[in-house]
Amino acid sequence: MGYPWGNQKAEIIDEMPMAATDMTIMESGRNYRGYVPWIAALVALIVWEVVAALHLVSAVALPSPVQVFRDLIATATVGYSGQTLLSSTLFSFGRIAVGFALAVLVGIPIGFWMATTDWVFLIIDPFLQFLRPIPPLAYLPLIVAWFGIGELPKVILIFFCTIPIVIISAMSGVKGVQENRKRVAECFGANRWQMFRYVILPSALPEVFTGMRVGIGVAWTCLVAAEMIAASRGLGWMIMSAGGQLQIGVVFVGIIIIGLLGYGMELGIRTLEKKMVPWKGRA
Amino acid sequence: MIQFEDVGKMYPATSKGGEPTIAVQEFSLRIEDGEFCSIVGPSGCGKTTILNMLAGFETPTRGQIVVGDDVVTKPGPERTVVFQRPSLLPWMTVSDNIGFGLTIRDKNPKGHQQEIMQMVEEMGLSGFESHFPYQLSGGMQQRVSIARALITDPTSLLMDEPFGALDAQTRSDMQRFLLELWKTSQPTVLFITHDVDEAILLSDRVVVMTPRPGMVAEEFSIELKRPRKWDSILSTEFLRYKKQILSVLRQEAG
Ligand SMILES: Nc1ncnc2c1ncn2[C@@H]1O[C@H](COP(=O)(O)OP(=O)(O)O)[C@@H](O)[C@H]1O
Ligand SMILES: [Mg+2]
Repeated sequence: MGYPWGNQKAEIIDEMPMAATDMTIMESGRNYRGYVPWIAALVALIVWEVVAALHLVSAVALPSPVQVFRDLIATATVGYSGQTLLSSTLFSFGRIAVGFALAVLVGIPIGFWMATTDWVFLIIDPFLQFLRPIPPLAYLPLIVAWFGIGELPKVILIFFCTIPIVIISAMSGVKGVQENRKRVAECFGANRWQMFRYVILPSALPEVFTGMRVGIGVAWTCLVAAEMIAASRGLGWMIMSAGGQLQIGVVFVGIIIIGLLGYGMELGIRTLEKKMVPWKGRA
Repeated sequence: MIQFEDVGKMYPATSKGGEPTIAVQEFSLRIEDGEFCSIVGPSGCGKTTILNMLAGFETPTRGQIVVGDDVVTKPGPERTVVFQRPSLLPWMTVSDNIGFGLTIRDKNPKGHQQEIMQMVEEMGLSGFESHFPYQLSGGMQQRVSIARALITDPTSLLMDEPFGALDAQTRSDMQRFLLELWKTSQPTVLFITHDVDEAILLSDRVVVMTPRPGMVAEEFSIELKRPRKWDSILSTEFLRYKKQILSVLRQEAG
């Protein structure tokens, strides 16, 4: 028979974070969290395999998972057009890592500064709002014309397409600090640095993390687009070039690697977030 | 000694066409050292505004507030505040929250462990010093707020409806607890509440305010003997005060 109410109990507790102190109840109800994502992925693979096996779509346009796996092995070992999968991946990943890290390192202080100092806001905001809605591909030709097609232009592109998101999230994080919390610090005579260190920075962290997660997604979009147009290696280049030669299996390999990398980065940020802002959503 | 001298506060018109609000007008009050003084009044009559001006968060638009020999111009650690909504810092543990004032004052986040642990014990928070605020009940959170306000040895403690969000039982526990604390360290207390029972039970003096713009309608010296117990609120003297205060409040409400 089992205990049909077991899971319900866990759900109810889930909705009341304040009451969720009984860890044993919580964890026993959450066993399914470990395997449900895997089952979902497996089902998706099976559906794909079935659709491909039934030849609902031509085999050239939709290779089966098994075929894609073979292409994966081939690109990983022999390579595609002289680039192994590892080198394509590392090039793309490196461009993102450098461009995005710079955007975070520069963007967070700018966002904080804009939120706390009016004249800084007045100077930077027009540029920010102007830059933000422009699709990066619109200024890609400029970047190529100025910086060529090496690594630098890609890093610059990632930097410019993600920094508005980082700045805006940092700024709104600072603006959202609860007045009473600042007043507590004022009461004890906190100076500007102490106010920042103990109240403003931690208050803003949850929003900064949200901005970073959105930023990572945007970074991949920009990068792949840029690599499709002006690059001779990287995952975007591999996808574009393989598509042109109707090597759809390799296109799938590229897409899957990008998806997995994006997912991995998201998990990394989530872990960091849990460590740094354990109170998120509960205060 | 705290002295409000003909204090007025007008909030400016809003950009969306809201009229300027005169929150407080011609408010004069003198609170002696070590006195427990409560302010009761209808919602929106300017109680929080008065407390915020005394704390130094807001500046009066008329008159001045004098504490000791100085006119209040900014917040200071000798006038600490307990807010209605616990304003604990969610990223700090209970003991870091309690020690926050010392951290700021001495520019040193460590080195106050002894004082903090003593406070933790006094507040009945033993065993919770490494918890985060969201892991505590409302009453415990408010005890942490009070501990944080007391640890810098303030001369006055400003409390803005500190127990307003608590259930009746917890509230009555907290009242008793506050009386105990006050008996030992005797800071001057300005206590804001809309609960007349609470005001009489705790205070040496109850100030009743008019509706906005807030002024002093009437003051009552509460001469119930201390220590007061929960059943003090059933004595005939208590009920007499309550009747008087309620009738002023009703009269003012028009
Ligand atoms: N920052 C503000 N700006 C404009 N009006 C305010 C502000 N704070 C309070 N008020 C107004 O002042 C009046 C008194 O508010 P408050 O002191 O909070 O009353 P109470 O604490 O007695 O309920 C209210 O009418 C309120 O709308
Ligand atoms: Mg109020």
